[in-house]
Amino acid sequence: MKKTTSTLIAGACLALLANLACADQLADIKAKGVFTCGTLGTAEPFSFSNTQTREVEGYDVDFCKALAKSLGVKLELKLISVAARIPELQQSRIDAVIANLGWSAERAEQIAFSDQYFASEQKVAARKDSGFTTLKDLTGKRVSAVKGSSSEMLVRKVIPGASTITFQDPPNAFLAMQQGKVEGLAASELTLVKFRQQSESTVPIAILEPSLVLEPWGVGMRKEEAGFIKHVNTTLEAMEKSGEALQIFNKWLGTGTSYKMQRGFRIEPIKG
Amino acid sequence: MGSKLDFSVLSRGEYPQWIWHGVLTMFELTLAAWLFAMALGMVLAVVRMADSRVAKAFVASYVEYHQNVPMLVQVFLWYFGMPALLPHAAQQWLNAHNSEFLLAFISIGLCMAAYVSEGLRGGIRSIPKSQLEAARAIGLSYLQASRLVLIPQALRIALPTLVSHTVLLFKNTSLAMTIGVAELTYATREIESQSFKTVEIYLLSTVIYLGISLLIMTAGAGLESRYRIRTR
Repeated sequence: MKKTTSTLIAGACLALLANLACADQLADIKAKGVFTCGTLGTAEPFSFSNTQTREVEGYDVDFCKALAKSLGVKLELKLISVAARIPELQQSRIDAVIANLGWSAERAEQIAFSDQYFASEQKVAARKDSGFTTLKDLTGKRVSAVKGSSSEMLVRKVIPGASTITFQDPPNAFLAMQQGKVEGLAASELTLVKFRQQSESTVPIAILEPSLVLEPWGVGMRKEEAGFIKHVNTTLEAMEKSGEALQIFNKWLGTGTSYKMQRGFRIEPIKG
Repeated sequence: MGSKLDFSVLSRGEYPQWIWHGVLTMFELTLAAWLFAMALGMVLAVVRMADSRVAKAFVASYVEYHQNVPMLVQVFLWYFGMPALLPHAAQQWLNAHNSEFLLAFISIGLCMAAYVSEGLRGGIRSIPKSQLEAARAIGLSYLQASRLVLIPQALRIALPTLVSHTVLLFKNTSLAMTIGVAELTYATREIESQSFKTVEIYLLSTVIYLGISLLIMTAGAGLESRYRIRTR
């Protein structure tokens, strides 16, 4: 037993020491010829496996591709879990995170955020038969959310007396509401629209107004890599000007898709 | 440099409260599930040793199910599946009374009861059958013989197994996180996602888990040496 414990501790220490400082990241990427982009792989339509081609694609992936192109190197996609986003980045196993990364002041202390490349409307839904129509109706009620999502903190901040229960993924949080374990479900508008379509014939849901917040998403990078951060922002701004960013939005979320969304934001620095 | 460890973040705002609340919930869940598992496990072990084929088959299938289906699946089944079978009023009652905790403790307790019963059965089987026969011969009923003669000895023999099952149960309470019970792992994940101080908060919860596991094992070792059956 003693031996196992000390081995464990030694292992943990080694892992911590492995945070080596590197030279300039921009030069490194060009020298390696590979840009490693961390993305979720499980979040339609941002990063998901196309069942036909078995390729990972989506809104986030297209931004990974555009960045690789701007650097003039090959793209390597690395699929990461929500919880692993920041450690993977800080330990330099990936060059940037493009993975539904919502900005918050506290998070911005740990990593650098690029200009917003997407803005996500966070809303709350309830069962139609509950008769709820606005956020106020949920005062003091229980609301489910996905672990690690920003909607969770927002619910407690915005709705007086509401408590949150978090689940591993959106389907579980949704099921908890369907079964009446919670009164509301907080998630991105996209997720809710999808659920509303799916549940129309069984237990219809209503999306409540107003939204919790408009959450800016950014590309996550290591704070000390000023050169790389600048390159990413310049590229994003160029994509906005050339219309490429709008094109990517319309391809995955626009009127031709099942989300039928209008782009209500533009690429610009995130205002703290 | 973002990779330097900085534990001061963990004392910020609501975080200490979350961690404390998480630890408390973890203790409550462990204790409730442990008591339930021990009591039920004992009953199951006795039933399995009885002379009824039906009872034996029942306990055997109970044990097979609970040992061979991942505990996470069992927890999900209890949380999302079982309440659906109940009448509407019962469902509403559950939802209003912290159904997450209740169903987590039931599912973890039921599952660990299977392990406990197997551990005890091993203990009981190691006691010569003649002891039971002798106990019956002096006029004890089957239950009396079990309670007074078999179980006290079986418990001692099974003690090391039971201690390791206790540690297993303790660690497995973290699965309750998946159905929204705000225990330590849940609090860890929450703090991680808000502060992005991944290494710090996971290190802290590792230390807490490790500390308590070691405590359980030490207590177990103490009990073992105290209650060992001394042989000549």
